[in-house]
Amino acid sequence: VTAALQHRSPALPPRRGADVDVDVVVIGGGVNGTGVARDASMRGLKVALFERNDLAFGASGNSSGMIHGGVRYLTYDPQVTEQSCRDSGHIQAIAPHLLFRVPFIFTVERGRRAKIMLPLIDAFFEAYDRYQPYKRGKPHARLTPEEVRRLEPGIQADIVGAMTFDEWGIDGARLCVANALDAIERGAKVWVGCTIERIERREDTGEVMAVRYRDRLTGETGRLRTSTVVNATGAWSPITASLGGLPPGAARVRPGKGIHIVYDRRLTNYAITARTIDGRQIFVAPWENVSVVGTTDDDFYGDLDEVRATSEEVRYLEQGIARVFPAIRSARAISTTAAVRPTLYAFGPSEDALSREHQVVDHAAHGAPGLYSMIGGKLASYRLFAEEMTDILAARFDIGVPGSTHTSPLPGGDAIVNPFELAERMEIDAVAARRVVYRHGSRAKWIEDRVQRRPREAATVCVCEPVIEAEVRYVLQNELARSVADVSRRTRLGVGACGGMRCAARCGQIVAQELGLPPREGIRQALSFLSKRALVRAVALGPEQARQEALAIASVRAELGAPDDAGGAPDPTDGAA
Amino acid sequence: VTRSAIVIGAGVAGVAAAWSALRRGVKVTLVSRGAGASSLGGGAVDDVPWERLARASKELGAEPVTGELDADVFEFVSALGIWALPPPGGPRPRLASVAGIIRPARGHDRALLNLELLRGTAVILPRADRAGWDADAIAAGLSDDPFARERAIRFVAVDAPILRFVDEARIADADLAARHDEAARLEWLGERLREAVVASEGRGVRVGGVLLGPWLGVEAPRAQDLSVRAGLPVGEALMGVGSPAGHRFASARDRLLGALGVKLVLDRAVSASFTSDRALVSLERGPLEADAVVLALGGLAGGGVVYAPPDSLADADLPPRAGVPFTLSLRADVTLAARAGALGVTSSLHGPELDLSAWPSGDRPGLLEDVGVLCRGSHAAPGLLAAGDVVAGRPRTLLEAVASGVRAGRSI
Repeated sequence: VTAALQHRSPALPPRRGADVDVDVVVIGGGVNGTGVARDASMRGLKVALFERNDLAFGASGNSSGMIHGGVRYLTYDPQVTEQSCRDSGHIQAIAPHLLFRVPFIFTVERGRRAKIMLPLIDAFFEAYDRYQPYKRGKPHARLTPEEVRRLEPGIQADIVGAMTFDEWGIDGARLCVANALDAIERGAKVWVGCTIERIERREDTGEVMAVRYRDRLTGETGRLRTSTVVNATGAWSPITASLGGLPPGAARVRPGKGIHIVYDRRLTNYAITARTIDGRQIFVAPWENVSVVGTTDDDFYGDLDEVRATSEEVRYLEQGIARVFPAIRSARAISTTAAVRPTLYAFGPSEDALSREHQVVDHAAHGAPGLYSMIGGKLASYRLFAEEMTDILAARFDIGVPGSTHTSPLPGGDAIVNPFELAERMEIDAVAARRVVYRHGSRAKWIEDRVQRRPREAATVCVCEPVIEAEVRYVLQNELARSVADVSRRTRLGVGACGGMRCAARCGQIVAQELGLPPREGIRQALSFLSKRALVRAVALGPEQARQEALAIASVRAELGAPDDAGGAPDPTDGAA
Repeated sequence: VTRSAIVIGAGVAGVAAAWSALRRGVKVTLVSRGAGASSLGGGAVDDVPWERLARASKELGAEPVTGELDADVFEFVSALGIWALPPPGGPRPRLASVAGIIRPARGHDRALLNLELLRGTAVILPRADRAGWDADAIAAGLSDDPFARERAIRFVAVDAPILRFVDEARIADADLAARHDEAARLEWLGERLREAVVASEGRGVRVGGVLLGPWLGVEAPRAQDLSVRAGLPVGEALMGVGSPAGHRFASARDRLLGALGVKLVLDRAVSASFTSDRALVSLERGPLEADAVVLALGGLAGGGVVYAPPDSLADADLPPRAGVPFTLSLRADVTLAARAGALGVTSSLHGPELDLSAWPSGDRPGLLEDVGVLCRGSHAAPGLLAAGDVVAGRPRTLLEAVASGVRAGRSI
């Protein structure tokens, strides 16, 4: 799958420790970047990771939140399916707390060829069943229309039958944070909100010498000497590669924007597949405490720091789902997510036919030895992709340690915590305890310790999710969060139906306290968070949410004022840099 | 001949309209289906949105003084009896919000602490084990506010046992506020605050006031009683929505309507129309007739205006109508509008681009709070008057609601 080993560097392995500050600089705090940082740190390399915005800011944190077994590759490349399923199993083994089962119902609509299609689809899923044991999935079942209606009364389409199959859901942001934390604990340094401005290369040999960076919050700049840079910036890859003076085509991706609509509750027990008006497959899936409808796929060449769903995209998805599940039209949409996939560049195929597979580009081929770009990839195979990349690094530095990221647990994944017992000990709601355990696994104990020391930290900050104060303070101290938006990404604070109107200001207070910022900076962050969240909610407005928005505007006005009157320093993540 | 009117909506605007109409000898029936935006208010009584004041004072370099208001507005406010509204020409009251901001207002619920009166002193915030009340963080935020620094007001979090029972760490603000309606409990709290003040003064802090969470009464604002007992100004901090200030308004309204002898019909109005000099309102339980109707239903937040996107009513794929997706929550022959003018048919299958216009941005108000009924003066249509947030393109403030209510009452 990877083409990288073909360009093995002809030179001697670069000297480690001499003339360099770190062995490897990884650019990008998504799942690939944090995955490589973890793997490389585990194999003894000294790593620095730079993230321009926040961990999981892009596609990693805004995907469907599922690790698919690669069922779409089954017919023409079953090896990929097998690999995906095996790796899904590995992720379950190293981070059991982060995964939840999402059983799918694949509906087959009545049509001219439905009679023929049904047994074919049945056989197809039977073939997929072979790989299900790798990821603890259940074998498929073929359902009659009556059985489907019994399981999901909301399905109103004219169907001849349906299949069930198993996939696993995951919180992509938590996965990135877990990988980054583990890398840090193994010696890596992670810089969040810090952009690389230049990748310096020797004029004679073209080899990588150093990177120059700038902290977007403080404005601090610096230089870090290294022989090796891994560009793991997803859709930003071509831009990042150009910082090293490479031609635009050197790290090319086909940027595919995908959006999701988020609903206020679990609307169904099963994920249900449907088709859009142009025949693309989409789904509505119960995910954590909400439902998610996705996904679109359109070429995108806009500002990657400001990707947002449009109301057209929302309607396109809703229209497709409504044919199978009409109640979606009266469900309460509370938000949208949007991100840009870094699909491999290929001319010709439509967006969907493009492969989601990955590739490491060794830019020695472009005269830049020591610079690598990770192109493509998906959440389900991040670990494998990171391992392939790290294998190349290991060969480059001539270290014989094989990868072991599939056997050593991620932070929090080493032990199971009973949420009910935790709820009793912390004297908090069982739902809140369950959410803490989901996000932090065995490290929920660290949050419990905080509450034992200061019982008032058991107070709920965000009622929708819910999130308690101790968790907010914990992620600020231990998980590289630097703003209200960062806390939200790590804890889902403020992403519920009320849009953060009840918790953003309080969270801003805590951020200011924990990071030693002036209190007005906390308020400014809260306002910035609220106004940005409003933009992603407005495109999916329905009757109830419109009323909630009007109330939120009134509340913000009464208590905080208008976003642009908050004063203070400009927000570095507002796209100013 | 006695004229009669039906007022739909019993929020601030509706009650003001009923009060004003009664004073002119009109026979009033008030119809309401329950809580609206007025019962969710935080206790700040504004004439204009306050961030506009902040902008104006930044540009002028000076704080605009309180402006003139309709004499009837003052009379109504004093009849209601729970709002402090200083006479024009003076400085604006200053309120502390739980988010840690000090902001100007035209008036305020009497339970809220007015910082305008303080100078060169300390305000103490008793710590309480409650989710929304981190006294230390709030004190830090308020002390950092430019107004506090200019006036040399310090905010200091102190330890003082102000919660009496274990459950008070968890119960809602309004439930805690209700406990202070009881005289004995208020007496107890007053003693605790007095002790806290003495203790603070003992540590060399000159205390000029006590700031508490939104907990001082549901039946009526209890801050003045408490101030007398504690021996210095005590008051609540401002909360965005859901403060007991909304309950206090509802209690005061019920007292006022009782005193005026106005009956409140609890029912949902389905339609309002005007035919041959008679106004007709259909309720779910039957029709009502009068000489005029005042629509005081509230805007989107209060439920008077409803947003129904075309696709939520869509048939198979296409939206069923080309009109704007906003409607009044009852049938009436009125035109919907925003500041920019009447909302017409858009050349889009999906209505206005809400993603661009829903929220306020800079000086532009958001469409969601701006949309309402197009009015000329108080008149929305022949025989139909409108007041409060349901009127298009007017500031969504309490005093605007009172003023438009009073005007509508006069126009019957």
